[in-house]
Order: sequence, then structure tokens, then C-alpha cells
Amino acid sequence: MTDSYYPKSLSEALELRRETGAIPFAGGTDLMVRFRAQAGTLPKLPHPVLFLGHLEELRQISMDSSGTHIGASALLSDIGVSEHVHPMLSETVMLMASPPLRNLATLAGNIGNASPAGDAVCSLIALDASVVLASLSGERTLLLEEFITGPGKTVMKSDEFIREIVVPADQPDRYWYRKVGTRKANALSKLSLSAMATVHEHRVQDFRAAFGAVGPVVIRRRDLEAQVRGMTLDQLSRETEGIVDAYRPHIIPIDDQRSQAVYRLQASLNLLRRWIDLLMQGG
Amino acid sequence: MTTGISRSVPRVDAYDKAAGITRYIADIPVAGVCYGKLVRTSISRGTILDIDVPELPEGFWFISEGDIPEGGRNRIHMIKEDWPVFTNSEVRFYGQTIGILVGPDREQLIALADAVRVTYREQEAAFTIEEGLACRGGALHGDDNLFADYCLVKGDPESAFSRAHRVIEDVIETGFQEHVYMEPQGITVEEQDGKIVIHASCQCPFYIRKAVAPSLNRSLDDIIVRQAVTGGGFGGKEHFPDIIASAAAVAVTKVHRPVQVIFDREEDMCYSTKRHPSQVIFKTALDSENRIIGMDIDARINAGAYESCSPVVLQRLIFSSNSVYDIPNVQLRGRAVATSTIPSDAFRGFGAPQGIIAAELHMSHIAREIGMDEVELKRSLMVSKGSRTITNGTIHETVKLHEMWQRIAEVSGWHEKKSRYAPGSGRGMGAAFYLHGGGFTGSGEQDIIKARVRMVKRDDGIVEILLSNVEMGQGLQTTFRKIAAQVLDCDYRDILLADPDTDRVPDSGPTVASRSIMIVGRLVQLAAEQLKHKLHEPGAQESEAAYTQPPGCHWDQETLQGDAYPAYGWGICVIETAVDPDTCEVETLGVWTIHEIGKAIDEAIVHGQVTGGVIQALGYGSLEKLELKDGKFFQHTMADYIIPTTLDFPGVYSELVENPYPYGPFGAKGLGELVFDGAAASYAMAVQHAVDRTVSRIPVTPEYIMELKTHG
Ligand SMILES: Cc1cc2nc3c(=O)[nH]c(=O)nc-3n(C[C@H](O)[C@H](O)[C@H](O)COP(=O)(O)OP(=O)(O)OC[C@H]3O[C@@H](n4cnc5c(N)ncnc54)[C@H](O)[C@@H]3O)c2cc1C
Repeated sequence: MTDSYYPKSLSEALELRRETGAIPFAGGTDLMVRFRAQAGTLPKLPHPVLFLGHLEELRQISMDSSGTHIGASALLSDIGVSEHVHPMLSETVMLMASPPLRNLATLAGNIGNASPAGDAVCSLIALDASVVLASLSGERTLLLEEFITGPGKTVMKSDEFIREIVVPADQPDRYWYRKVGTRKANALSKLSLSAMATVHEHRVQDFRAAFGAVGPVVIRRRDLEAQVRGMTLDQLSRETEGIVDAYRPHIIPIDDQRSQAVYRLQASLNLLRRWIDLLMQGG
Repeated sequence: MTTGISRSVPRVDAYDKAAGITRYIADIPVAGVCYGKLVRTSISRGTILDIDVPELPEGFWFISEGDIPEGGRNRIHMIKEDWPVFTNSEVRFYGQTIGILVGPDREQLIALADAVRVTYREQEAAFTIEEGLACRGGALHGDDNLFADYCLVKGDPESAFSRAHRVIEDVIETGFQEHVYMEPQGITVEEQDGKIVIHASCQCPFYIRKAVAPSLNRSLDDIIVRQAVTGGGFGGKEHFPDIIASAAAVAVTKVHRPVQVIFDREEDMCYSTKRHPSQVIFKTALDSENRIIGMDIDARINAGAYESCSPVVLQRLIFSSNSVYDIPNVQLRGRAVATSTIPSDAFRGFGAPQGIIAAELHMSHIAREIGMDEVELKRSLMVSKGSRTITNGTIHETVKLHEMWQRIAEVSGWHEKKSRYAPGSGRGMGAAFYLHGGGFTGSGEQDIIKARVRMVKRDDGIVEILLSNVEMGQGLQTTFRKIAAQVLDCDYRDILLADPDTDRVPDSGPTVASRSIMIVGRLVQLAAEQLKHKLHEPGAQESEAAYTQPPGCHWDQETLQGDAYPAYGWGICVIETAVDPDTCEVETLGVWTIHEIGKAIDEAIVHGQVTGGVIQALGYGSLEKLELKDGKFFQHTMADYIIPTTLDFPGVYSELVENPYPYGPFGAKGLGELVFDGAAASYAMAVQHAVDRTVSRIPVTPEYIMELKTHG
């Protein structure tokens, strides 16, 4: 049997987290699969768990001048239809799993799982999202890119958990999200691209590209983005292959049960090229 | 509006299944049960040197070869004596049963199973068809690794090839496929009044009886098999339940308690049988006007480590390898190759899909080579009544493929789209033509199965059908009742038909080979006709019908010559696809089918079979990649082994053409497998058209399409 804690409030949850070190458990759609056991036996969770999914305080989605605040335990199904949520994130979320799963799964769970194939993570990183980590000692805010450090690895301390995710209000004008999954629903990503840009008067003012499932973490290269920023569309057109080539060494996928590295690399670069094409067409 | 027997009625099992009321074997508690956990080999080939079993707590047992009752055989009787029940020496594949741990607590069983230490002497193993043919690591079976090696000759292929203007060569390959029935394998075995009673999720209750009896050294009548409600089979519950039942039955004779073995999904995916991978090599001779004058076919299947039903699967594959085409001169060699993988076994289609995919793709490749429209090429060679088959038998029925083509070309917009979508444009159309012989191959029905059906009118006037075919989701509980009710002129819901119990029902054969309606349904009809005369006589009345071969059908099992099947179902599947230029993902825009199955016994059930079969085939053709890595299946969870969801394919357009078969019930022929046979090939050809590259294997994954586009 696994010990479990069912706090009645956020403050009680924070206390339990410090006292027991129990790991956060939101929808359980990653945890229950990862620790599933054989027929007729209970899942083998190696740690005590702290249920967070039910806490109303953590399920709110709101907006203020700094951006959208998405509670750690907000359901994907609610995020997908919320008017406060950036459309790229809504689209991403609605392509995750399937309706019954989305009625359980959370954004913090997707982040906490820290899989390079976490779909929401990819779009959130493109959106410059941050996580607000809470503990009894207070709160700290980190860029999501800095929070996740490797497959299944985060900088979360043993008395902390994610309280909310903040997506800045100020975003580029255009976005393009492409998930290449193993199939159309209940599918893990073979690769994904969350791309954003602002083009003003034929000049690229902002350019972002985050690639999922093609490296140990979501890949976003701010250095390469900086090189694209400021280009005119003519330059962009001439430089397309150069930009694609510059990304190539950073896209380092693997072969696994679901796909092959050569495919993942080629398809990722093709999508990047397509995104640049779209920008030139859209003016 | 549909009238008569084809008109749909509510299925007798539908409400309880949809409402979650139906209880499957894992839902039924058994007092005093011991759970069983199979202990398996962790190498693919070699010899077991030592089995070290941890000390077992009270109430736990480890059962292995030494526990087989005196005089019992350590061989499971399938078609012949086959897989060992338990191995304690020779290892032929990863996951072979060494023993079964039984006890009252599952957690403890898992821990104990993990603590069993087996030491081996490992040997080099062959996994692929090529490695098997090369006898890598030494032959596993005989001295050539061939469980079967067949030759067929039609016409005069030698002279055709000597006259050939050119020869087109081709290799078509298909992979493993996992059944993914909704309910994993499960079985409960217990002793009752000195007999062994086996409750099984299965397709073939009498097969289990035949398999288990010799291992226990008991008579067939001492073994009673009661079919449990079965949540899907697709062939995966044809022979595999024998494996679990044998081990559990041996355990029961030792521990004298009920033993239950229930697989979870992962265990099922890792260790149950799969569809045979295939490789078909063609050489086709053309004359100077590009007419096909001869064909040389070399067909190989990966049979795995034991024979099971591989020779029969191979027979169906080679008999289907000319599909619906009358090729004048053919020579064929077919081989079932032994390898150190889990024995391949039955799966919807039973070899026919592999043969038809090979034939369809090869024909389309010839059309590409000679610059001819592929459908025109195919239509110019289509069989008709009186045509000679690849086994020098005869097509006895009227073949309606041409009129079916007119119809499906019209509803799918074939001609307009085919001319609008330039090859390589990213949009593509594919059309597959196919047939499926109903019932057992060759003389199997007459010589091996000898089906019987009994029908009784009880004292209280209620009519009961007694037979051994099982409901596994395909609708038999409803369709058998409808056939009897139509004859007896009563309500189908008033007729009894219980899940079979081998102690109560005659052996009407296994629920396989698209035979249940065509063969057994006919016997239901005949038994009902006999009973009808006695229906108003007082007291209990009974009737029985036994199978007889339709007149005019001849078969020689020694030479594999004659009518391999008495009658065929026919089908066409058209598919329209769009291939994403960046990611090579394929969007299926339309699926149109038309089938001739004689007569539909229930249209809704038939359309259900069409949709299910076609989507299952599309999964096989596009998504379901199953690779071996060091002898183990690399994809073994539902997250990695990808079957389609309702979003992956559009609705399936389904139309039926009638052509009543005089020896089927109300004219019905086989259906269940036919509807699986064509869609994968059609999909592959639609992609081929869209990307203008030669597609020669399935599944046609985006990875494969990318490879084709990159390397030509
Ligand atoms: C059938 C199926 C389909 C799926 N499809 C997709 C898909 O398309 N795309 C995709 O990205 N994922 C998919 N997933 C994975 C999973 O559903 C998502 O990652 C989901 O967002 C996890 O949320 P959860 O609330 O269920 O997480 P949980 O399982 O509860 O937790 C996951 C991890 O996050 C941690 N965690 C939870 N809450 C917090 C918190 N407040 N603070 C810190 N850590 C926390 C947990 O400790 C755990 O390590 C799928 C899963 C299944 C079973």
C-alpha cells in the first residue's frame, strides 16, 4: 500500500509536503501509468503521494496585466476552452490524449513529468511561460526552460510544488503548432513544433521555435532566434536554408519504439522550413 | 428497405455489454482460487541448465514438467503434438513456459516469479525469415528449418518464362501484427466430480479439450470446456488458450484447487502469438505487348519456434497469392520458416491478407513499370465463373467484380480523382480487389472438422440450438438465432443458445475461418428444417445436421490440387489519401467498400464487421509496427503499439451485392475475414500514388514514406 494525503487546502498541502515529502499527485495520468502493476494488483508507487487535483485554489484560470495564471491543478479540458488562454496553448492541450484523459490531467502534471515529449511543455516554453513554485518558506518564479533540466528532472525542491503557471500577456502576433503524434488521439508525440513570430512592415520582429521530443528536453535556441530577429522577409527568404542548417545540430532525437531519429530530424526541419515559408506568405 | 433475414434486429448481447452488465472471466470470483503466474524463459535459444525456485510459502506451488501426471505428454496437441507444456531443457523462444507458480495471492506470486533463477547455456538464434532459411545457429526444426515446403504449378510456367520479353521482379513484405482483442487472455480451471472443467475466453472450446487431454493422460470426456463470455478473439484465441489451459490444468491435478490465469495487457502483448510476417518474391513474365504470361512466386512466412497452424496459414497464403486474377502460367514455392520467435498463429485472414497484399502491390508495380492504369490491368485479368484457380480448381460461382467496380468507382469518384491527382501530387487513390474462401482450406471441413449441430425442442416447447461456435463480438448469438427463427417462423429472442459447454453440445468446429455462418449456419438451417416437422409433436424432440461437402467440389490434400474452397466472398476497397509534404503523415480522406457475401444474415452486423475489419486492416497497413529486438517484441504497450482510434480514419462506406450461395444459409457465405483482406493493400497503393514511389512493405508509416521520398 502507498501512503497518501488528501489536504483540504493549499496551506495544508504545503505543510504535508514539507512534513512527509509526499510527491504531488494531480490527475495521476502519468503516475498511474508509470507505476502500474500486473493484473489484479495495486500500482507500485514508490513514494507516498499528496493529492492536489481536487484543490479548488489550484484549479483557477485567470488573467491580469502580467498575463494568464493557470492553476497547477486546472484540468486540460478547462484550459482548452478558457478564453484567458493563448490559442496556441488551447490547441496544444486539445491535441493531448483524449477527452476522458483531459478531464483528469493537468498542466502541472505535464510539467512535473518533465518528459521531452510533454506537449504542453513545448508550447509553454515557446510562450515564455514561468512556473510559480510554492513552499512554506515562500514562493519563487522560474522560467519553465530553467525549471526542467533533463528527462524526468526538474529543479523542484522536496518541500515545493508548482502552484501556478504564468503565461505572459504580451505574445508575438502569429503562431503555428504542429504535433506529429503516433496517431490522432491518445498519442504521444514523435515530434512537435511550437512556433511564434511577429512580422511588422516586412521585418521579423520576433521569432521563436520550440521543438518537442527531439532531444533530452524541449529545444529552444534563443541564440538562433536572435539571429532571425530583425531580418527582412527578403533576407528570411534567402537565409531559409541557413536557418534550417543552424538548427540541425541542436535537434538530437533518438530511435525508440515510436519512431526513428532520422525521421524525427527530417520532419522537424521540414516543419521549421514550412513555418518560415508561412511567414513569408503571410507578409 | 431491406426485408427478410437481412433486416437488422437488436443484438441479443448488445445491451448487457454496452451497459457493463456482462461478466467476463476476470469478473467472476472463484471460491478458494489459486492464481497462476507463468514463469518463462528469458533467452531465445539454448538449454536450461538449472531452475532455482525460491522457498515457497505454505499454499504456493511451482508446477513444471515433473508434475505432468503419469503417462501424460509434455506436448500440447494442436494440429499435431506441438509446443511443450513446460520446458526444462530446450529453449526455442523468449517467453516459453518453464513452469507455473500458483498460490492465493497475486502480489506474492509476482515477487516469487521474479525470484526464480534460471541458468542457461545460450545459443545463437535466428529471428528473421532470412536467418531462419540460413539456419543461423543450426536448424531449429529438421535440417532445413521448414515446417512446410509446398509447390504449385498451373499451366506451363517454364515455357512462359522461356517466351518472356521481360521479367519484372518484386519483393513484398509484411510484419507482425498483435490482435489487441479488448479482453486479454484468461482462463479458470477446476475439478468437478472427478473431471477437469476449463472456463476459457476462447474461440474453440473443443480445441482446448483436445489440447489438454493428452497432457493429463485423461480421456476427452474427462475434460469439459465451458466458454466464458469472450471479449474479442481475431484468431488470437484459436490456439493460444491451449497454452495457458494446459499449464493450469496440470497445476490443478497437483494442487486440487481452482487455478485462474488472467493476463494483463502487457503480458498479453509480450507473450501471446502474432500474425505471421511474410515475404513474397515475384518474378513476372511479360510478352512483347506487356501482357502477363507467367508468374514465379516464392512465398515465405515467419512461423516462429513451433509449428502450430503455420502450414495451414501458408496454404491459405499461397492459394490467395493470385488473388482475384487468372494468371495463365504460375509456379509457386511456399515455405513456413522456423525461427526463435514466439510461434506465429491465427489472425483474421489466416494468411490470405499477406497473399492478397503481395498480389495487389505486385500488380500495381507491374502497372507502374509498363505505364498502364493499374485498375485496367487488374480488370483485364479478373477471374470469372469457370476460371481456373492457382490450385487448378474451378471458380464455381458467378463473379460480380466488374459490376461491383462500376458501382464503387462511381461512389468514390474514382475516375475523376484519379485523373485529377497527378502521381506524386500528395493526393492518392488506391483500389484493392480481393476474395476470401469460406470455411476450412481444402477438405478440412469434410475430413477434419466434420461439424454437427443439434437442435432440441424441450418438453416446454422452447427450442434450443446446440453447437460449439462462440460469440466473441461478431454477432453469432444473434445470427444463429435468426437463422433458426426464420425457418421455425418464430421470434429469434425465443430461441435458446447458450455459450458452448463441450459436455452439452456437439462439435460444430472452431470459430475460425469465416465458417460459422456459411458452414455452421447452414447446419442450423438444416437442423431447424428437420425440427420444424416435429415441432408440434408432444414431448421433447431433437434434430441433428452434419456437414457434407457441396457437390462438384474436389480436393486432393496430398497434392494440394482442386477446389481449395467451395465458394468465395468478394470485395473491393477504395481509399483516398493525402500525404503531408513535411511530415509524411497520411490523412485518409475516404474509404469506400463493396462486398459480395452471398446474402447478409443481418445487415447491421455485416456493416459492423466491414467497419471493424477495414479499420483493423488499415491499422495493420499504416500504424501497427511490431519489431523484434533481441527476440523480444519492442512495442508491447498500448502507447507504443499503435492501433487506430475513431479519429484516425473516416467512416467506412459499405455496400453489399447479393449473390446467394446455394449451400449457405439463405445464400450466405463467409464474411469475417474477407473484410480484413483488402484495405491495407488499398492504403499502400493510395500512398504509392500520392508520393509516386514504389511501396513494397507494410505498415506504410510516415517513417517509411520519408525514407522512400529521400532515397527513391
Ligand atoms: C492515454 C494517454 C495519453 C496521453 N497523451 C498525452 C499527450 O498527448 N501529450 C502529452 O504531453 N501527454 C500525454 N499523456 C501524459 C499525461 O496525461 C500528461 O502528461 C498529463 O498532463 C499529466 O497530468 P496529470 O495531472 O495526470 O499528472 P500526474 O500523473 O498527477 O503527475 C505527473 C507528474 O507531475 C508531478 N506533479 C503533479 N502535480 C504537480 C505539481 N502541482 N507540482 C509539481 N509536480 C507536480 C507528479 O509528481 C508527477 O511526477 C498521456 C497519458 C495517457 C495515459
